[in-house]
Amino acid sequence: MKKTMVKIHEVWLEMLMAGFMSNTRNREVLLDFSDILFRHFTWVEHALILSGVSYTYDREAIPVKVDKLSDLLHDIMQRLSTIKVEVLHFDDKELSGRIMSDIEYIISVLASMEDEVVTAFNMQRKLSDISLTQEATDALTLFLFEETYKEYELILIYNYLKAHSNNAYMNRIFQILIDESFYHLKRFGDMGAQMGILGVPRTVMKELYQVTDIVQFLEEGINEELAAKEECKKLSDAVSKDSTELAKFFDFINYQENYHIALMKDALKYYKRENNE
Amino acid sequence: MSVDAQLIEHMMNPKNYGTLDDANTQGMGKNPENGEKVAIYMLVANDEDNPYVAEVRFQAIGCTTTVVAGSMLTEEVQGLNFQGVYDLVEATMGFLDKLPPEDAACSEMVALAIKAAVDTYKERIVDPDYPMITYKIANSCTPKEEAS
Repeated sequence: MKKTMVKIHEVWLEMLMAGFMSNTRNREVLLDFSDILFRHFTWVEHALILSGVSYTYDREAIPVKVDKLSDLLHDIMQRLSTIKVEVLHFDDKELSGRIMSDIEYIISVLASMEDEVVTAFNMQRKLSDISLTQEATDALTLFLFEETYKEYELILIYNYLKAHSNNAYMNRIFQILIDESFYHLKRFGDMGAQMGILGVPRTVMKELYQVTDIVQFLEEGINEELAAKEECKKLSDAVSKDSTELAKFFDFINYQENYHIALMKDALKYYKRENNE
Repeated sequence: MSVDAQLIEHMMNPKNYGTLDDANTQGMGKNPENGEKVAIYMLVANDEDNPYVAEVRFQAIGCTTTVVAGSMLTEEVQGLNFQGVYDLVEATMGFLDKLPPEDAACSEMVALAIKAAVDTYKERIVDPDYPMITYKIANSCTPKEEAS
């Protein structure tokens, strides 16, 4: 089951990348499927926790550089077929039945999906309808790589915390932060693909999500969110001369961080009170 | 960091990123200022009593610059014997003052992690239980104009 969780993790990300690569109505379908696969990942994780099995979020690198979307979809279908066979042997037949049924449907849709030429790796570094200076382009490039990884990291950290907590108050906050990071990850992934610099986020070191001191984690997290706000502000300033639309987007992301900080402060206060710290 | 096609390639597909199950030594480079670190996982093999780096992987808690430095340096280190590794580390350290401070700190962290892995291997020849060596960087990640 542990190996299956790793495979589901990998195919979730591969599906997400396929969604970013698509420029047609396939995109929404692929992103929805990636959300389903993420849920499978959390369900299998929960089953591992119930069984007392230790695990990490380690996985292999996922090669996604293709010229045609169909090349990636074929790989995804192969991976899903392997997972389906493995899931069959799960003790929890309700869980395996659900995952298998989802996979069957997903494969049937992918098999008939219209092909697309992929431009997400051409390194053109241009956004449609927006002309940026070289300096702004470089700043945006670095920001996208940095923040795409960061959002993936946050999803895994909050997911791990949530998976190991039975506290409804804390879990509500963790879930909001997971949802917010998914939104940011999808927007930054879309921009990375448009710019032709799409990359799969690197694996996250286990020290980051296997949090031993939640107070320290939240305090450092608040500081990181403040730093992220600064980065958004810098980027908004860097692109504002060339595109008010893009500057507005980064201001919008910047303001969203305020609520994340408020939530993390709330979690910190609650946790300290509950644990008499 | 100035951005060119080679750097973008390393950002999109960092080389040798991850862990190595059959590693026989590890090393760590750490930035004591901010907790950023680089872990090196290395498989050392022997060619007629001349040990060399057969395989190497790295992981980082750090910024994109650290990942790019790790990707580039681990490519360079692959296949080198220990003297070659020390020469590479020395050459990298000698180049640091030509880099912006934040880039220098990242490259130093990777170089020291590589050195730590080789030094750990050598210590373990004498004492198989010798703990993984961690080296701390001397360069500050803070850009000069912000440091005061």
